[in-house]
Amino acid sequence: MRRRTWLRIGIGGAALLALGGGTLALVRPGWSAGRLTPAGRELFAAVARGVLAGTLSDRAAQPMPHARMLAAHLERLQTTIAALPAPTQQDIAELAAVLLHPLGRRLFAGLATDWRDASPAELQATLQRLRISSLTLRQQAFHALRDLTNGAFFAGPGTWEAIGYPGPRPI
Amino acid sequence: MSSLPDPIRDGLARGWKVFGGPHGALPPALACDVAIVGSGAGAGITADLLSAAGLAVVLVEEGPLRSSRDFNQLESEAYPSLYQECASRKTADKAIGILQGRCVGGSTTVNWTSSFRTPAATLAYWREHFGLATFVDDALAPWFAQAEQRLAIEPWGQPANANNDKLRIGCARLGIGVAAIPRNVRGCWDLGSCGLGCPTNAKQSMLLTTIPAALERGAQLVVQTRAELLEIADGKVVAVHCAPVTTNGQRAAGPALRLAARHVVVAAGAINSPALLMRSRAPDPYRLLGRRTFLHPVVLSSAVFDDAIAGWQGAPQSLYTDHFLHTAPIDGPIGFKLEVPPLHPVIVSSTLPGFGLEQTATMKGFARTQALIALLRDGFHAESPGGQVTLRDDGSPLLDYPLTPFVLEGARRALHHMAEIQFAAGARSVLPVHERARPCRQWDEARAMIAALPMQPQLLRVVSAHVMGGCGMAASAERGVARPDGRHWQLERLSVHDGSLFPTSLGVNPQLSIYGIVARMASELARELTGRDVRLA
Repeated sequence: MRRRTWLRIGIGGAALLALGGGTLALVRPGWSAGRLTPAGRELFAAVARGVLAGTLSDRAAQPMPHARMLAAHLERLQTTIAALPAPTQQDIAELAAVLLHPLGRRLFAGLATDWRDASPAELQATLQRLRISSLTLRQQAFHALRDLTNGAFFAGPGTWEAIGYPGPRPI
Repeated sequence: MSSLPDPIRDGLARGWKVFGGPHGALPPALACDVAIVGSGAGAGITADLLSAAGLAVVLVEEGPLRSSRDFNQLESEAYPSLYQECASRKTADKAIGILQGRCVGGSTTVNWTSSFRTPAATLAYWREHFGLATFVDDALAPWFAQAEQRLAIEPWGQPANANNDKLRIGCARLGIGVAAIPRNVRGCWDLGSCGLGCPTNAKQSMLLTTIPAALERGAQLVVQTRAELLEIADGKVVAVHCAPVTTNGQRAAGPALRLAARHVVVAAGAINSPALLMRSRAPDPYRLLGRRTFLHPVVLSSAVFDDAIAGWQGAPQSLYTDHFLHTAPIDGPIGFKLEVPPLHPVIVSSTLPGFGLEQTATMKGFARTQALIALLRDGFHAESPGGQVTLRDDGSPLLDYPLTPFVLEGARRALHHMAEIQFAAGARSVLPVHERARPCRQWDEARAMIAALPMQPQLLRVVSAHVMGGCGMAASAERGVARPDGRHWQLERLSVHDGSLFPTSLGVNPQLSIYGIVARMASELARELTGRDVRLA
């Protein structure tokens, strides 16, 4: 994914570009200087609520309360993204910037409300819209959000009991 | 943490010459007889043979030196520390996820131990289409045999784990032959953590075998250091310019290293080897460099059984079938090899389709989930030309591998046959790994669904653990970057000794092909440089 590709989104792209290419990231960056910003944490918390619906909230299966589980997940996500090479971190930063911008969130992801306030149904619909879109950029965005979320979440030992994974066999 | 002996740490304590990262600063200059870029399959074999011939060898590895005491069988540790790009390397359109090693031992430190000789049909194709007249089964057999002996390669004789056994059961019901996979292990504990680094030192990777042998003979190893450029003077390679890098590939603090050598062997693996030559502006008059990079693109079928599968446990790959490589000629519709992948939480959750409640249900069935993989044999047809490596602005490599309709048609056939085998084995439900697929409880339902699935990138999950080509060998400069003996066609004092040499994909897991073919090349190089004959075993 070349630089600035996220900014050349077909539908509504002109409107986004009118905001100025590089300044898009400055408006509300989600990933900056190797860390999730507060806005980025809101975004990825919402994505987690969507991708992990049924898992995060399954009180019977999860040993920790929802809020703590989410906080632990965001810390692991932070570590996961920070370990990625610079070009990949850049892709994630650009995707986050688009999704955090009100126009990007509306035109690209199809979500009217703020990430923080999106209902479970709205989050499901947003992810599904990206997933089944015929626009490659949206499919790529879906996979990036989903695979990152899952990869970080299921790396945590606290998530294994619910899926019947015993962890490493002691040597 | 493993409490078993760690021969690497013991060797370091005995005085192995290792620099870079936590092992001490790089000197600003080093000189040697042969500089080897990389420390994987081809590099290890080369280092062993050349050091045995008395040559002063330096290996340059961009990844860290990790060994059994570090291998805690945790995905959260293994992917960031042992794999290229945290096991998230992707092709340019992000449609294919690539697993390659990035550590001492390269991909051999994290592979699943499957060891196959280069198939006769592949060698025949190479002879016919690339003029590789010396790539004859009988001529290569002694080299494969040496590698098999040195690395304890034998067909797995213990019972297959449940994940692999379902392949056997399903194939038996359909009259499809299945055989045991030869594995490079000695005293294997049947843990299933091969892909996370072997904590018991059973896996006979380069990390455990050839590299220690070279280090014992005085070879030097520079780690967490990337070869950035080859220094070329008058058509000869004279040195490698290296720089310290962080664990995620950024330039780290510290001085650069100029490594002078009489001969340079590039063995950084497919994708990285072509990239190094491109950064160095190596002559490429026929525009071959980086092209014809192959992946054995893999598609997957997941199934749920009533009984426990526990796909994380036991030797990950122990059975296979080549049946679907022989149902058409090698240059006909794309064939595929069927194997089984290990199943751990991160790799499964980031590979299987679905999200939300759909995914919750899938992951709840994790312990009863079984999977098959089909490795498509790319590179033998005009409509399977592979991909091309390019450089990003920062000099890092990017592989552009378009999934052609020819390859995608093969993917559909592979999903069809994998589902049939899984139902024949008694699966309660089967889910082809595709975003538009849903779990099917009957074979007829699955067959109809697979026939109608849109075979497109992004929708179809495709992964690769075998990257090959990009510095292909051939009998003429017009068709190859490297000669049949591995030497570069245009530059002197330069050889390529890794999987990037392959002019097509192999049709089998690559490590033994690299060991055998490179052993022959390295022994020829040793004879040329020293007059001595050396063997692996």
